[in-house]
Amino acid sequence: MHIPTLAPETLFYLFGVIPVTNTIINAWLAIIVFLIIGILISRRASLRPGKLQNFFEFILETLFGYFDQVTGDRKKTLRFLPLVGSVFFFILLSNWLGLLPGTGSIKLGHNFLLRPANTDLNLTVAMALTAVVASHVYGLVTVGIFTHLNKFIQIWPLIKSFKHGPIAIFTAIIEVGVGIIEIISEMAKVLSLSLRLFGNIFAGEVLMTVMSSLVAFAVPTPFMLLELLVGLIQASVFAMLTLVYLSVLTAEPHGTEEH
Amino acid sequence: MYFIDIAYAKAVAETTETIEETGLLASLGLDGRLFILQLINFAIVAIILWFLVLKPLVKKLAERQKLIDDGLNNAKKAQEQMDRSEIDYRAKILEAKKEAQTILEKTEKDAKTLSDNLKIKAKQEIENLAEQAKKNILKEKDEMMIGLKGETANLIVAALEKILSEKMTGEKDKKMIEEAVSGLGK
Repeated sequence: MHIPTLAPETLFYLFGVIPVTNTIINAWLAIIVFLIIGILISRRASLRPGKLQNFFEFILETLFGYFDQVTGDRKKTLRFLPLVGSVFFFILLSNWLGLLPGTGSIKLGHNFLLRPANTDLNLTVAMALTAVVASHVYGLVTVGIFTHLNKFIQIWPLIKSFKHGPIAIFTAIIEVGVGIIEIISEMAKVLSLSLRLFGNIFAGEVLMTVMSSLVAFAVPTPFMLLELLVGLIQASVFAMLTLVYLSVLTAEPHGTEEH
Repeated sequence: MYFIDIAYAKAVAETTETIEETGLLASLGLDGRLFILQLINFAIVAIILWFLVLKPLVKKLAERQKLIDDGLNNAKKAQEQMDRSEIDYRAKILEAKKEAQTILEKTEKDAKTLSDNLKIKAKQEIENLAEQAKKNILKEKDEMMIGLKGETANLIVAALEKILSEKMTGEKDKKMIEEAVSGLGK
């Protein structure tokens, strides 16, 4: 039995310097699948949809229903769709690709050729960082630089508070503290997003490996079904949290109109 | 389970050793080059998904929605137009009915007037005819009376001539006739 290690296995090096791991192969597989689907859809997209277009439109409409509940506005949903949609579909497909026969069985050299892409912390951190940074970029563009930065850095209210007495100074100091906590929480977002996805998918992979090693037939099937569900849930959680971060940071802060 | 425990313990031991040797981030598999490569992978996925899948689908969904909205708007406009036409139609029908009623009333009134006029005219004609007939009758009566008088006078003269032929002279006879005639004129 080969229990997957935390770090993905390096299969070979591109140009002698860039390591290519089995999780990257899985990500490339996902890219190829998306490219094929994309070419098919973009070429055949019409007002009277075919089966493929109809299927994806159904998924998209279903997602819009959930996304609208978070954003409260279809326009906002469409604005965030490039990022949130990409996150959702990529996580979902790469998770499900890990359940295909060959993952954890086909070897290249001493290592397995395929491993679910999200069992690589590099990818989950990359996506989490992109999501959080993008939420700040959207926030900066939407509410303005000063309003956005004011959510985290409360220096100006602290300076102004010196004119208004000790209570105002005390409130301003608390606001500065809250700002620092906000900055820490932004960093925690990256950690929580990336580690949650990585932990769940990696645990699933370990579970699948153990179950498959114990009994090769039938017994792993319920766990595979469970992994299908976990893949969907994790994709949804990541996408919805990204959407929440985007919605929160693009919203006007309370009391802005008073200043 | 024993073998799993052994394997897991081995893996944990290997991991612990690795952590000690290479540090926490490296033991988790975090690597700058891999991170950038995965970032590029995600960017490629996002670009492919947005430009080849999501954007065309969203565009088509929006177009379809617009088509449906336009169709609904047109249907609403057509309904409104139909309602307006219905109202116009009803108003025209009502107007036509009123006009017809007015025409009927006018016609009835005209007919009555005409009838009355004709009746009056007919009555007048009848009266004229009756008057004319009366006049004719009176004229004929007068003529007849004159004729009758003449005849009567002749008859009386003849009768008297016969009765009194012997006793009457020519002068007496004439005088008597004249008296008789003048008496008749009264």
